[in-house]
Amino acid sequence: MTLWGQDTVKDVAESVGIVHLNKEVSQALSRDIEYRISQVLQEALKFMKHAKRTILWTQDISQALRVLDVEPLYGYETTRPLKYGEASLGPGQPLFYVEDEEMDFEKLINAPLPKVPREVSFTAHWLAVEGVQPSIPQNPTSNESRNLELLPKGPNANPALAAMTGADTTTTKPQVKHILSKELQLYFEKVCASVLDETQPEYRTAGLASLKDDPGLHQLLPYFVQFVAEKVTHNLKDLFVLTQMMLVIDALTRNSTLNLTPYVASLVPPVLTCLIGRTLGSGIGSLDHYELRDLAASLLGHLCHKYSKYSHNLKPRLARSLLKTFLDPTKPLGSHYGAILGLKAIGGAEVVRQLIIPNLKAFGELLDDDLQDSSVKKAEAEKVVSAILNALGTLVDDEIPMMNGHSEESANELRTKLVDTIGPVIGSRIADASHTTLAKAILEGGLLGLQ
Amino acid sequence: MIPQPAAPPVNPYAPYAYVEDIEEEPKSPPFSASVIDYLAKKGYHRTEATLRAESANQEIPKDADLKPTPAGPPRFFEFYSRLRAWTDDVLDTYKAEVKRLLWPIFVYSYLELVKQFYPKEAARLFQKFSEDFKKEHEYDLRGLQFITLPEHGEDKVAKLYRENRYRLSLTHHAFTAFMGFLESLPDAGFKMFLGIVQNNLDLREVDRAADDRFSFAAVIQRSKEDQDMPAEDEGIPGHRPGNAISSTDPNVGNNLANLKLGKLPMEKDLEEDVRGDLMDLDLEVPPKAGQESLVQAHERLNIKQEDEDEGPSRAEIPFPPSTARDVAIEVQKVREVRDRLKIDSRTGGVGPGLSVVMYTFHNTHDGINCMDISGDSNLVAAGFYASIIRVWTLDGSALGPEVGGQKQNSRRLIGHSGPVFSVAFAPAAYRADPNAADSHSKWLLSCGGDGTIRLWNLEAFACIVIYRGHVGPVWDVKWGPFGHYFASCGADKTARVWLTDKIRQVRLLAGHDDDVDCVAWHPNSTYVFTASSDKTVRMWSVTNGNAVRMFTGHTAMITSLACSRNGKLLASADETGLILIWDLGPGRLLKKLRGHGKGGIWSLTWSTESTVLVSGGQDCTVRAWDVTGPAKEAAPPTAKPDGTGAAGAAGKSDGTNAGNAAVPTPNISLASGSAGGAPGVGATGGHKKRGKEAGVSNDQISAFLTKHSHVYLTKFTNMNLVLAAGAYLPEQYK
Repeated sequence: MTLWGQDTVKDVAESVGIVHLNKEVSQALSRDIEYRISQVLQEALKFMKHAKRTILWTQDISQALRVLDVEPLYGYETTRPLKYGEASLGPGQPLFYVEDEEMDFEKLINAPLPKVPREVSFTAHWLAVEGVQPSIPQNPTSNESRNLELLPKGPNANPALAAMTGADTTTTKPQVKHILSKELQLYFEKVCASVLDETQPEYRTAGLASLKDDPGLHQLLPYFVQFVAEKVTHNLKDLFVLTQMMLVIDALTRNSTLNLTPYVASLVPPVLTCLIGRTLGSGIGSLDHYELRDLAASLLGHLCHKYSKYSHNLKPRLARSLLKTFLDPTKPLGSHYGAILGLKAIGGAEVVRQLIIPNLKAFGELLDDDLQDSSVKKAEAEKVVSAILNALGTLVDDEIPMMNGHSEESANELRTKLVDTIGPVIGSRIADASHTTLAKAILEGGLLGLQ
Repeated sequence: MIPQPAAPPVNPYAPYAYVEDIEEEPKSPPFSASVIDYLAKKGYHRTEATLRAESANQEIPKDADLKPTPAGPPRFFEFYSRLRAWTDDVLDTYKAEVKRLLWPIFVYSYLELVKQFYPKEAARLFQKFSEDFKKEHEYDLRGLQFITLPEHGEDKVAKLYRENRYRLSLTHHAFTAFMGFLESLPDAGFKMFLGIVQNNLDLREVDRAADDRFSFAAVIQRSKEDQDMPAEDEGIPGHRPGNAISSTDPNVGNNLANLKLGKLPMEKDLEEDVRGDLMDLDLEVPPKAGQESLVQAHERLNIKQEDEDEGPSRAEIPFPPSTARDVAIEVQKVREVRDRLKIDSRTGGVGPGLSVVMYTFHNTHDGINCMDISGDSNLVAAGFYASIIRVWTLDGSALGPEVGGQKQNSRRLIGHSGPVFSVAFAPAAYRADPNAADSHSKWLLSCGGDGTIRLWNLEAFACIVIYRGHVGPVWDVKWGPFGHYFASCGADKTARVWLTDKIRQVRLLAGHDDDVDCVAWHPNSTYVFTASSDKTVRMWSVTNGNAVRMFTGHTAMITSLACSRNGKLLASADETGLILIWDLGPGRLLKKLRGHGKGGIWSLTWSTESTVLVSGGQDCTVRAWDVTGPAKEAAPPTAKPDGTGAAGAAGKSDGTNAGNAAVPTPNISLASGSAGGAPGVGATGGHKKRGKEAGVSNDQISAFLTKHSHVYLTKFTNMNLVLAAGAYLPEQYK
């Protein structure tokens, strides 16, 4: 009937030498124990409440015992809650006990010192401004507060009061909308118009220069990113617009007062579009889009160089998508051109060695067909070949440890080796140019890659 | 209007015992008692019943034969079940009222069973019916639960109920219905309950028409929303509303002390100095068009206006001669109050937009017990469970001398040998003018589980004085509004008032039946408020140490108290998340503010105009409340106490206020008025009526949720900015 089992009372009695305990006595005792325990708990609860807590600590019990003039229980002084284990005495008879690990003293002494706990500190923020709770990270999101009943409801609740509190829908609007001033909006429109002005080059330069140097543009940053992305997707045929957009991105990255890091992920897609897009400008048959691809490649390299340390997966992701294009024979030559330049731009010699050289042989065969073709196709293929040579050129600057047993080889031997490694198309070209340093670099790189 | 004289222990069978009757009638044992007794013994129930009905106005013997029948336990269980069934069955109009009877009868039945040593029977009763009261009386139930042996009668809760009568007001019809039910019971049950009614209850009968709180509208409204709350005048200390004394002893008169709630006049020299300084400032920076000058603001703020209440004289509350520091503080206060963000009472139903700065403490592991921010908003102090106090500068600037060549923005104050339960900064003001005297906060008080109060100097960062006196933990300490005095309260059921230059207390305020949990000062330094675990709030006069008011109505531990800056209202908040606003003049409940979650409201603070209350608590919210209320925009909420006592004051406010012609019955001082339990109910036809699902009062202006941070402190500055502080405890919300 009582929470405190009479068996326990009996056990304790036996432990102090009372064998025959009257049943009524043990009953009365167990009731009394229950009462005394509740007394201690009530006292301990007071300490808990005055410490403004909702979890009872063992120290509260110690304090309560002190107030009740009882010797405290030693060995339970901990701020961590006690852990209880459960053992079964029989069906429906769980026994709870405090888990008390045995500590090896030796181990305890030799163990490294625990970390110093963090210092108590405080921060200040606006919980409410003129009755409205600003949506800043220090305040809970509106989702969290929505579940709670914070406002008076019912037919007579004052709607005006609800609006005042800020829990209304009005505050869930994005913060930038409120902050973007008239001046900034005007500025944004002007700059957008100026960089796309085809007739007045000085107007364009002024716009880009402003983006490059002016402070205080951070609030407009998402708008510019959005602007670029939109223009690029909708103007794939207009090389002028695409070039201008690349220049805008470039200008933004050069502005020392802007922190572009969070926006890199959204800036990369338009750049990639301009780099490896299937049809840029008027389409197949013209060579003018290669200029844009050059620009995009260098811009990509710049982005990679500047921001890859903030985003560990930026480089791998770029390399993966570029390589995919490079290895896809169905893509037009323009895309291949861009992919090769892009690979070179993001990783330099290392990437060229690891990703381009092993695939050159197969790629050369593809190129071979086009090189035999009509004028435009041939010109394009030539462009690609020059891009490959350009990429391979990086290997020369890259120092490679000289291998032992390296000797002068004849031009012929070199040629065959080159053709073996990277295919006839490119290989013979390098041999023709009698660019021996490059050739050696390629061959050694290839060997290194094989090792 | 006849002042309410002392009511003798009124027999419930004398419903029309007017004051005059009682005064004139000698209290002789009535003749019919022995006859009824005889009839009952002989078993002539019908005759007995008839006689009873006829002699309804007659006294009934108290010493009715109540000995338990030797065979088996008294049948409390059975009869209580019948009572409960009856209350479910009764007419809807009475239901809300008669339901209130269940709790006291339950408690006394249980205690009686325990006393007569029937633990099993008591446990049966408890188990079966305690669930009904879980919501409202959880705290008392917890205490009662383990009282199972007669020896446990010494327990706090048991003692409280045994030694006091439970007071309850019923309308005439409900009362008659209840008596009718008792009559219908078999003899044993009748006697049992009658015993309880006679010995343990203090039933008051009120005329429904006379009191708007018992009007049909009010009763129906209460049955909708207030069922979980006892009425203001119900409860165990047997308290009479508007009275300072808890006992029902007829010898104790209805001595509703006359309060002096006005301003404490300024010392003459101080006043002249402040005025001079302000005049200089006015010349330096002339007030803008439409703005009052500093001198005008000073006069409005510090000099008694004609339409204001009488204040205490300076002779009653002695202070040391003023110093340059006092002048600087007062001057700064006037400047801040004049240039404050004005919060007018609501216009067009819209509350003011408050700005709240939240200071969130990190890495505390729930170790912080209390906080305070200094009056110059420069320092923040926190008391820890680990017995230390830490003081930081709010702006992160250096504090005190360098340690090891490094500037520190915080200091530790070490000295307590138990958890620190309260810290308080002495009054201070921002030093706007570098030429003015130093007005920064210099002193900090703290109290803790080791039973001491310590005074710390904030230049040397050392403990200067230890004040001993409390036995057991000291729960709260607060500075008087002008410094020099401070008040403390603790687990020894006392509150004490101290002077900083004396190591013994100067006043010992005893009277509470349980731990005194919090303490607050009246803004004129003349009164102290205390709140206790016995769920009462008391108001004490510092001049003579007498209790002058008592407020009952809370059902759980009271966690915070604050008196409004105009000195007319008191706010008290409890663990269940309820805030009650009391009108000090008549000593009545003014408003109930619901909305906070369970777990304690740790801090209350009033705006400079006393129109807005801000609270913060365990439910991680800071809430703002409209105190003036929509129903009475024009009239000030308090009636002016006019020296004739509460009855007069209440009566006066009656006429001017709601406009319903309410005449209080002479035998019961349950006058309606501004302080009625549900303001505006009778007059506006249930303005506050709302659906049962709505848990938030309409008086709430706004609620701001913090991110897993319990709010320990809220504080209005003189310029009406709200500062809040709390501890970020993400681990508790995983």
